[in-house]
Amino acid sequence: MTIQSDASKERADRRKDRRKRDSQATAWGPGFIIKLILMGAVNALGIYIIFTAFGVGSLTLGIGMILLLIAVNWIYFSRRTLALKYLAPGLVFLLIFQAFTIVYTGYIAFTNYGHQHTLDKSGAINSLLLQNNSKRVEGSPQYPLVVVERDGNIGFAIIDQEGALKVGADEEPFAEVDGTITDNSITEVDGWDILSSSEMGQRQSEIFDLRVLLSDDAEEGAIGTQSGTVGYQFVSTLSYDDASDTMTNTETGEVYAANDETGFFENEDGDRLGVGWRVNVGFDNFREGFSDDRYAQPFLKVLIWNVLFALFSVLTTFLLGMFLAIVMNDERLKGRRFYRTIMLLPYAFPSFMTAFLFAGMMNRNYGFFNEIIGAAIPWLTDPTMAKVSVLLVNLWMGFPYMFLIVTGALQSIPGELTQAAKIDGASTLQVWRNVTLPQLMISLTPLLISSFAFNFNNFNLIYMLNQGGPRMSDASVPVGHTDILISMVYKIAGLTGEALPNYGLAAAMSLVIFLIVGSVSLYSFRKSNSLEGLN
Amino acid sequence: MPAGKWFRELGFRHIVGVIAVLYSAFPIIYILSAALNPNIKTTLTGANSMFSDVSVENFTELSDTMFWTWLGNTLIIGVATAIGTVLMGAASAYAFSRYRFQGRKMTLMSLMVIQMFPQLLTFVAIFLLLNTLGDVIPALGIDSKIALIAVYWGGALGANTFLMYGFFNSIPIELDEAAKIDGASHTQIYWTIIMPLVIPILAVVGLLSFISAFNDFILSRTILTSQENWTLAVGMNLWVGGNEKNWDWFAAGSIIAALPILLLFLFLQKYIVSGLTGGAVKG
Amino acid sequence: MRRGIALVAASGLAFGLAACGSDDDTTEETTGTETTDTETTDDGGTETTDDGEAPAGGGSITVWVDDNRLPAFETAAEMYKDATGNDVELVVKENDQMRSEFMTQVPTGEGPDVTFGAHDWLGEFVTNGVVAPVELGDKAGEFNELAVTAFTYEGTNYGVPYAVENLAIFRNADLVDSTPETFDEMIAMGEEAGTEYPFLVQIGDGGDPYTMYPFESSFHGPVFETDGDGNYTDVLNMGGEEGNAFAQWLADNGQNGTGVLDTAITYDVAVDAFKNGQSPYILGGPWMIADFEGMNIAVDPIPSTGDNPAAPFLGVQGGFISATSENKLLATDFLVNYVGSEEVQTELYGIGQRLPALTVSADAAAEDPLMAGFRAAGEEALPMPALPEMGAVWGFWGNTEAQIISGQGEPVATWEKMISDIETEMAK
Repeated sequence: MTIQSDASKERADRRKDRRKRDSQATAWGPGFIIKLILMGAVNALGIYIIFTAFGVGSLTLGIGMILLLIAVNWIYFSRRTLALKYLAPGLVFLLIFQAFTIVYTGYIAFTNYGHQHTLDKSGAINSLLLQNNSKRVEGSPQYPLVVVERDGNIGFAIIDQEGALKVGADEEPFAEVDGTITDNSITEVDGWDILSSSEMGQRQSEIFDLRVLLSDDAEEGAIGTQSGTVGYQFVSTLSYDDASDTMTNTETGEVYAANDETGFFENEDGDRLGVGWRVNVGFDNFREGFSDDRYAQPFLKVLIWNVLFALFSVLTTFLLGMFLAIVMNDERLKGRRFYRTIMLLPYAFPSFMTAFLFAGMMNRNYGFFNEIIGAAIPWLTDPTMAKVSVLLVNLWMGFPYMFLIVTGALQSIPGELTQAAKIDGASTLQVWRNVTLPQLMISLTPLLISSFAFNFNNFNLIYMLNQGGPRMSDASVPVGHTDILISMVYKIAGLTGEALPNYGLAAAMSLVIFLIVGSVSLYSFRKSNSLEGLN
Repeated sequence: MPAGKWFRELGFRHIVGVIAVLYSAFPIIYILSAALNPNIKTTLTGANSMFSDVSVENFTELSDTMFWTWLGNTLIIGVATAIGTVLMGAASAYAFSRYRFQGRKMTLMSLMVIQMFPQLLTFVAIFLLLNTLGDVIPALGIDSKIALIAVYWGGALGANTFLMYGFFNSIPIELDEAAKIDGASHTQIYWTIIMPLVIPILAVVGLLSFISAFNDFILSRTILTSQENWTLAVGMNLWVGGNEKNWDWFAAGSIIAALPILLLFLFLQKYIVSGLTGGAVKG
Repeated sequence: MRRGIALVAASGLAFGLAACGSDDDTTEETTGTETTDTETTDDGGTETTDDGEAPAGGGSITVWVDDNRLPAFETAAEMYKDATGNDVELVVKENDQMRSEFMTQVPTGEGPDVTFGAHDWLGEFVTNGVVAPVELGDKAGEFNELAVTAFTYEGTNYGVPYAVENLAIFRNADLVDSTPETFDEMIAMGEEAGTEYPFLVQIGDGGDPYTMYPFESSFHGPVFETDGDGNYTDVLNMGGEEGNAFAQWLADNGQNGTGVLDTAITYDVAVDAFKNGQSPYILGGPWMIADFEGMNIAVDPIPSTGDNPAAPFLGVQGGFISATSENKLLATDFLVNYVGSEEVQTELYGIGQRLPALTVSADAAAEDPLMAGFRAAGEEALPMPALPEMGAVWGFWGNTEAQIISGQGEPVATWEKMISDIETEMAK
C-alpha cells in the first residue's frame, strides 16, 4: 500500500487544497467546454426521456428520470463531488440494471407470481371475460359475414339461413337490405361499403367487440365475429361487476367474489375461476421453500454439493494450473510460447459449446471416451461419477485461468527471495513450500475467492452438461445429483418446464442463496484481509 | 549439458508440456474433426472415427444459415460491453483508489456483494424493466442489442472494480502529486498519466467482459427475441438444443466462434499475465 | 458560486431543449417509416399506436414459429399478404422457448399475436389466461376430430390445428419383410435378422415416457381415465396391476434383463444405428424421415406388449392466439382461413412431413405409403394430455422409467412411488 495511515492527516489537507485548484467545475477552458457539450447531450436525452415518459403516462419513470438528471447535473457541476464524477456513469447503470432488478426480485419473492398468477388483476379480469364472452350458442347456425361501414360506423352484413341479405350495426338490429350475393358470399350491400381486409386490419378491436342483435328482441341473441368472415351467435357466460368486484356466471347465477389474498375469484364454496392474478403473499414463499420437506431436504443436499463443487473446482483447477505454471516457468524452455498458447485453448473455447461437446463425448456406450478406453464408465449417469465428471470438465475449462494468474504471480515474486533460500541450502521443494507458495497465496487469495463465488453460481456448466442429472430418485421435486442451488432454483421455478412456473418461490430462494454466497464471500474477504487497503 | 541433467532441468518440462497440450487440445481436435466431416448431420456419433473424411462442406453450409449475422451481433455486443465496462470500471477504480470520500468503504463492499447476486435469476425483473423502459425509449426495450449491452454495463462496476482497484493502488500516488504540482487537472492526470500505466488491467477486464458477454445465454435469450438480433450462444443452442439437431453447423460454427477469443488472447497475452496479478501482488 | 451553478445548469438545459426538439423530430420520422412498410396511405399515420404492436394502416400480425417450419409458414404468410394486404411477420423461436416466453410476454402485452406450438401447452396457457378462444364453426368438421379435441379445453376451442404426429415402427425393408403384432415376436424377428440390435428405441438418461408410451398403454390403456366422449378426466390410470406389470416389463427388458431397452440409447444413437443398418426396427416419428432418406423403409403399426393395442400419443401442432393481442381479428382470420386451408396444409405437409390436420389434405398426404403407415399406426392414438401439471408429470414419469430400465430399485415399488408423487403434484 502506498497510502499509510500516519500520513492521512497530511493527505487530507492536501486533498482539501487540491479540490480547490483541481476541479474544472466552473473554470472556463477547453476541458470545461467539452464537458458542457457532453452534459448538454446528456440533458437533452434526459429531458427527451422525461417528456416521453409523461407522454405515455409512465409517472414513475418520468419522476425517476428527473431525479437522476438533477443528480447528474449536480455531480458534474459541483466542486464537491470529485469522486462521484468518476463513479457516476457506472453507478447509473448499476442502479438501474442491477440494484433495481435485485430489489424487484426481492419484491417478487413476496408475491405469488407464477402459475395461474402471471397476470395483474385487470389482466385476469380481461382474460376471464375473453374466455367466456364468445361462447357459441349450442346448435346455432353460422352466418357468412362481411364487415361494412357507413359514415364511419361499423356494421355486419350477413346471409341468414333463408338466404336473405341482412345488415345491422350497434344499436341497430339486423334488417334486410338489397345487395349482391355471389357464391354464398356478399359482394355488395346497398348503402354500405364493404371493408377490405386491410381496412379491417385498422379497426380490429372495434369489429371484434361488436355484437349486432338478431332482432329487436334482445332475447334472441346477437351476432359477433372473430375473423371478419363468419358470424356466430355468441353469448357471454361471465359478467364482471366493478362496484362489487365480483364475477357472475350468467348461466348458473353463481357469484364469484375477488379474493385479494389468494388472487382468485371465489364463490362461497371456495370454487375458483381458472385464471388468477398476482397478489402479495407475505413470507409464504420462504416458508414453502425452506420448511416444506419436499424442498428443504433436497435443498440441504444441494447446498452441501454446491459448496463442495465450488471448493473442489477452485482447488483442482488451481493445483493443475499452478503445477503447469511452475513447470513452464523456466526461461530456457524452448517452445514455451507454443505450450502456453495451446494451454489457453480451453479458456478461449466458448463455454456453452464445451458443455455440449463433453456431454456428447461422455455418453456411456457411444461416447468418445468410452470408445477410446473400451469401458462402459457411466460418466454422467451414476450419481457419484456424474459429480466427478462435472469436476473433470470444469478442470478442463478452468485450469488455463489459474495457469495464467499463477504465471503472472510467479514472475512478480522477487528472484532474490528464492535465490537466497537456495543459497541457504534449501531443496527445491523446500523453496517452493516455504517461499514460493506463501508468496503466491498472498497475491492470489482474492482471485481464488472470486473464483469460488463464480463457480458457486456456475449455471452454464451444470445445466448444459447434464441438466443437473442424474435425477435424485428419492426427491419429490425435480432435482438432480449434480444440481447446484442456482440450477435447482431454475428448475423448481418451472423455467425448464419440469415444474409449473413459480417465480415467487424462485425469487425467494435466490434471495436466500444470495445471503449465503454474499456472507461467505464477505467473511472470507475480511478473513483474508483483502480489504485492508480500504482503510 | 549432460542428458541426465538436461532431463531433470528441462526435459521433464517438455514431457509435462506435451501432455498438457494434448489434454488441452484433444476435445477441440475432436470437434475440429467433426467440423471437417461431411457425414455429420443429426448425430455426432460418426465423429468418433476421427478425420475419416475431410471436407470444408460444413463451413460453407454456414452461409445458408444466420451464423454470420449472429457472429456479427456477438462481436458488436461483446466489444461494446468490453469498452463500456473498461471505461466505467477504470473510472470507478480510480475514484476508489485516489479519493477518500464518505461512504467509500461501504460502496466498495456493496459493489462486491451485489455482484454475488445470481443475475441469472433476476431475468424476470429485467424483462419487466426493459418492457417498461421500451415504451419510453424504444432502444432500451426488449429485442434491442443496446438494451442487452446496457444490462451488461450494469454489471461493469460490481465485477471489475475490485480487480482494477488493486492495480490502481499499485501506481504510486506520488505520480499524481507531481503532475498536480505541474498544474495538471484531475482529468488530465487520469487520462494522460494513470490510464497508460494501467493498460494491462484494462486489457484483462476488457477480455473477461468480452468473454462473459460472448458466453452469456440466459440474459441474451431473454432480451433478444428476434432471430436477426441473436447472439451465437442463443442461435447455436437452437441447432443442438431440440430433437432435430444440426451437429454439422454446430461443429463448424464453434471452431469459427472460438477464433475471435483466441486471437484476442494472443494479441493481449503480454498484458494479461501482468494485469491479472500485478495489482494484487504489488498491493 | 451557487448562482454560477444555476447559470451553468440553465445553459445545459438550453442545450438540452434545443437538442431535444431535433431529437423528437427524428424519432417521429423513424417510427413513421417503420410502421408504414405495409402498403397503405397516410391516413393511418396520424393514428398513434398504443404500443407499437398494431401498426397503422393495413394490418400486421407477428407470428412465432420454430426453425423447421419456417419455410412452410413463409408461404402461408405470402399467400395471406397477397390476398389481404396484411403483413405477417414471422419470428423464429426455439420450440421449448416458445412456451415459456409466450407465458411471460403475453401478460405484459408483448409477445406475438399468434404462436405455433403443440397442443399440450394448452392447459398452461388457458389457466394463465394468455390464450384467446377461437370458434371454428362448421370448419371444425373438416379437421381430424382428435386434432380439434386436442385444442379444446373445458369445452372451449383455443386454437387451429395444422398437423398431427404419432409414433410408429420404421422397418428396414432390406432386412425384414414385416412387423409382427406382438413385441416378443418382433424382437425374435429382429434377432433373426442378425443385426447388432434387434430393435431400437430412444430412452436417454432422463427416460422418454412419450416414446415408451405405446408399450405402456398396451398394458393399462389411456394415461388418464376417459369419459364417454373419449376426453381425459383427471383420474390417473397408470397405477394398479397393469401399471405394475408394465414396470416389471421395463425391468425385464432393461439393462439387467434382456437389454433391449437401454438408457444409453439416445435419439442420436438410435437414429444413427438405424441409418447404418444396425437394426431392422426403430420406434420413431415422422421427424426421422429426413434422416432415413434413400433407405428402403416402411412404416408399420407398433406391436403390442400387453392386452391392449399399443396406442401412441397423438401430438397436434397448431396455432394459438395471444389473449392480449390487439390483432385478434386478423390473427383469427389468418389461422382459420389460411392456415386452415387445404392449400396451406398441403404446403405445410410438403415441408414438415407431418400428417395434415385437415382431412382433405391428410387424405392426399396418405397416398405416400409412409404417411399411410403413420396414419394406420395412429388409429388408436389419443392426444397427449394438455393439463398444466403435465410438465411435472413427464419429469417423474421419465426418470422413473429410466431408473427401472437401468436396474436401479425395485420396479414395482419405484413405480408406485412415482404414482403417488404424480398424484401429489396434481392435487396441488
